[in-house]
Amino acid sequence: MWKKIFDWLDERLGLVDLYKNLLDRPEPQGNWWNTLGSASLFLFIMQAVTGIFLTVYYTPSPDHAYDSINYIMNGVAFGWLIRGIHHWGATLMVIVVFVHMLRVFFTASFKYPREMTWLIGVGLFLLTLGMGFTGYLLPWNQKSYWATTVGTQIAGTVPFLGDFILKALRGGSNLSALTLQRFFAAHIWMLPAALAGLIGAHLYLIIKHGESHFPTKDD
Amino acid sequence: MDDETKQKIKERYQRQVNRGERFWPDSIFKDLIVSLAIFTLLILLATFIGVASEPKADPSDTSYIPRPEWYFLFLFKFLAIYGQIPVLGKIEWIATVLVPGIAMLVLTLLPFIDRTPNRYYTKRALPISIMALVVVDIILLTLMADVPTVSENGSKLVGWLQAVAGLAIPGLTMIALFLMAFAFKNISAKTMFWMTAIASVLMIGFTGSVLAIAPKPTATAEGTVATTLVDQIFAGQDLYSVNCTECHGDDGKVTKIEGVKGLEGKEIPPINGHDVLYTLDDASLAEVIAYGRPDAGMNPFGKTYNPAGLSKSEIDYIVIFMRYTWDDRFEMPAEALKPLFPPLAEGEVPSYDVHIQPIVKRYCLACHRAGKENNNFLMDSYENILSTGDNKDKDIIAGDPNSYFLQVIQGHAIPDPKDPTKTLIRTMPPNSQLKPNIVDALIRWIMAGMPRTAEDAAKLTVTPAPATGPAGTPSVTPTP
Amino acid sequence: MPDNELNRRDFIKVTTGIVGGLIGAAIGLPAISYLLDPAFKSGGKEAWIPVGKIADMEIGRPYPFSFTRVQVNGWERTSTSHGGFAIRKSEDPKDIVILNSRCTHLGCTVNWKDDAQAFLCPCHDAKFSEEGMVLDGPPPRPLDRYADFRLTDDGILEIFYKES
Repeated sequence: MWKKIFDWLDERLGLVDLYKNLLDRPEPQGNWWNTLGSASLFLFIMQAVTGIFLTVYYTPSPDHAYDSINYIMNGVAFGWLIRGIHHWGATLMVIVVFVHMLRVFFTASFKYPREMTWLIGVGLFLLTLGMGFTGYLLPWNQKSYWATTVGTQIAGTVPFLGDFILKALRGGSNLSALTLQRFFAAHIWMLPAALAGLIGAHLYLIIKHGESHFPTKDD
Repeated sequence: MDDETKQKIKERYQRQVNRGERFWPDSIFKDLIVSLAIFTLLILLATFIGVASEPKADPSDTSYIPRPEWYFLFLFKFLAIYGQIPVLGKIEWIATVLVPGIAMLVLTLLPFIDRTPNRYYTKRALPISIMALVVVDIILLTLMADVPTVSENGSKLVGWLQAVAGLAIPGLTMIALFLMAFAFKNISAKTMFWMTAIASVLMIGFTGSVLAIAPKPTATAEGTVATTLVDQIFAGQDLYSVNCTECHGDDGKVTKIEGVKGLEGKEIPPINGHDVLYTLDDASLAEVIAYGRPDAGMNPFGKTYNPAGLSKSEIDYIVIFMRYTWDDRFEMPAEALKPLFPPLAEGEVPSYDVHIQPIVKRYCLACHRAGKENNNFLMDSYENILSTGDNKDKDIIAGDPNSYFLQVIQGHAIPDPKDPTKTLIRTMPPNSQLKPNIVDALIRWIMAGMPRTAEDAAKLTVTPAPATGPAGTPSVTPTP
Repeated sequence: MPDNELNRRDFIKVTTGIVGGLIGAAIGLPAISYLLDPAFKSGGKEAWIPVGKIADMEIGRPYPFSFTRVQVNGWERTSTSHGGFAIRKSEDPKDIVILNSRCTHLGCTVNWKDDAQAFLCPCHDAKFSEEGMVLDGPPPRPLDRYADFRLTDDGILEIFYKES
C-alpha cells in the first residue's frame, strides 16, 4: 500500500532521482572544518525563523519600535527566547561565516573549478554584514541609534559621492523615521531575498562540483 | 590554466572521492552535530546572558559615546590609529573607503589573482602568511577598540603603542613577505611562516602592553533601564520626586509655586487633573517635560538644552507614572501600590536605609540638593543630612523635639532670632503637609538618634511589652 | 562487515532524525506559544465606575452619564468612551435601570427625547422605550443593560464594568 503511494508520488515528483542526486552523493573524507558552511546555513534558517516571528510584534517606527521590543521581551511568552536567539544568532553568524571563509582561503578551495563559488561566497559574507548593520538599528535604543549614526557617517566620507551616499542610506540628511523604515525594509525583504538567492546558487555549485577535499602534499 | 592541469585536478579529486564517504548520512550527520552544538549555545546565550536593556534612542543626547557593532570595531580602531599619521592621517577617506575597498576587492578577486593550481599550504606561503597577519590584526584591533589613542594626561604613548601593534608591525611584515616572495624567490615557506609567527607574537605583546597601561574602564553609572510597567512607574515616581515636586508638589496639585527662586508666587495649573491628563497624550506630555513651557515659566528638562537633563526613557517613565497615578482611566497595577516604607510597629525605630531615605527622596530631595536654594542643607546622603546646612547645629539634634527639622515638618516656622518679624526657615515641605505617618517616622528617627542601618535601628527598638525597657533609650513611645 | 556498515548508517539516520526533531521542537513549541500569546491572556479588566450622585437623578427621567476607559494592548494605549442612562424607577435606591447608550443595531449612540418619551437612534430612526425595549426600527434586541451596580455610602451610584 505505502509502496504504491510512494511509487505514484515518485513517478510524478522524481523522489528517487532527487535522493540520488542531492543526498546519496559520494564525497571526499569529511573534515570537521567542512561543517562551517552548513552551520552558516543553519544559522541563516534560525535567523529567518526567529526574524519572521519577531515581525509579529515589532513595529518599525521611532514612536513604537522601542516599546514594541520591550513588549516582546517582557510581555509575550517566550519573546525573550525568540529575540535572544535572533540577537546572538546574528553575532554567531558573522563569526561562523567569517571562519568558513578563512577555512576556504587556507585550504585554497576557491581554486579551479570553484572560482564562482568563492565569488558568490564573498557576496554572502557582505550581505551577512549588511544584515547585521541594518538589524542593529531596529531596536531604536541609544546604542543602535548612535552606532548607525557613526556607521552611516563613515559611508559619507567617500570623496565626491559621500553626501549622496549618506542621504541615500539615511533617507535624508538625518537619522529619522525614514532611516528606520528603509533599514527595516532592507533587513526583512531586500537583503534576505538576495541572501536566499545567492545561498541557492552557492549550494547548487557545491552539489555540482562536490565538496573540495582537504589538500595533500600533491595538491 | 591548460586542459592538462584541469584534467589532473579532476583525477585527483576523483581519487579522493573514491576513498571518501556518502553525503547522506555521513556528512550530514557531522553537520547536524555542529548545528546542534550551535543551537544549544544559542539557547544558553539567550537564556543566561540574554539581551541587555538599553535606554530609548535620544537624538538630543549629544553626550552619548557612539560605538559601532562589535564586528566593525576593528575598522573603527584602524581609523583612529590611522588618524594619528601626520599629513596622510587628515585624508580620512583613505582609511574609511580606500583601504577597506581595496581589501574587499582583493578578497573578491582572489581566485583570479592567485591563479596557480597549488593548494598545499607550503606552496602558498605568501597568501597564507598575509591572511594570518590580517586576521591577527583584526582580532587585536577589536581588543584595543575601547582604549583611547590619547590618554587622559595627554600622553601619546598609548597611541604610539597601538600604532606599532596594529599598523606598523603587520604593515612592515607584509612588505617583507612580499619582498621574500618576489625579490628572493628561494626563501623557504618555513622562513615565511616563522616570520609571520614572530610578527604576530610581537603584535600580541604590544597589544598586551596597551591593554595593561590603559586606564581601566570605569563602570559607567548609566541610568538603569526599567522594563516592566511596575518598575517604570517606580522609576517615574523617583524621577518625579527629584525633578518635579519642587514646583508641582508631590501630588501634582500645586496651583501656586512657593519657595522656588524666580518662580515665587507664580500661579500654575494643577497637573493631576483632566485638563492635563485627558487632553495631552503621552507624546505631548513627554514634549512638555523635555522642552518645558518657556512662556509659562516651566524649564525644559530634556537633554536638548542641558546635557545633564533627563533622557527620553526617563521622561517616558515620568509620563507613565503620572498616567497611572492620576489619570482615572488607568488602573494602578496592584504591585505598584506598595507603601513608601514598611509601616512601623509600636516602639519600632526607623532607620535611614529602610524608612528615611525613601521619604527624603520623595519629599525633600527636589530642593535639598546641590544647586538649589536650600540654606545649604543637602539631603542627598546620610552624612550630608547630618552635617550640612546653615543651621546645622540646630537642624537635627538627637533626642530633641525642638530640632528645627522636626518643628518645620510639623507646621511651625522658625523665626529669625535677629529679626522676629522674619522667618528663618519656613514650614516644610513648602507647599504641602506631610502625612501623619511620615511625620511620625521622622520624629521617631531623630528622637532615637538617627540610626543609619536597619540593624542599628533594631538595637534601639523598644518592645512595647510591660518588661522594663533599656533605660535611657530615647524613644517617642514611652515604655509603660 | 557490510552488515555492520549498514547498521551504522541506519543508526546515524535515526539519530539525525531525532536531533533534527529536537531542534525543531525546541524552537517550534516556544514559537507557537509566542504566536498565540495574546489569545491566552486573560482579557478584560474589571472596575466599579462611578456614574453620579443618586440624589441628582430624578425619578422616571433618564440620567445620562459617560466614562472613558483606557485599554492597554501591548505597548499601545487606546481610550474608549462609553455612555449610558440611569433611570430611577421609584424612591427605592435599588430600583434602577441602567442602559448602555449603544444602539443594538449598528452601534450608534441613542439619545433621550422628552417629546417622544423614548430613546431615538439618529442612524436608522430606531426607537427604544424607557426600559430599553425596541419600539420601532431595525434593532434586533433591546438596549444592553449594566446589570451589576451598587450604591456607595456617599450615595454615589457605581456600575460594574468589564472590558470586553
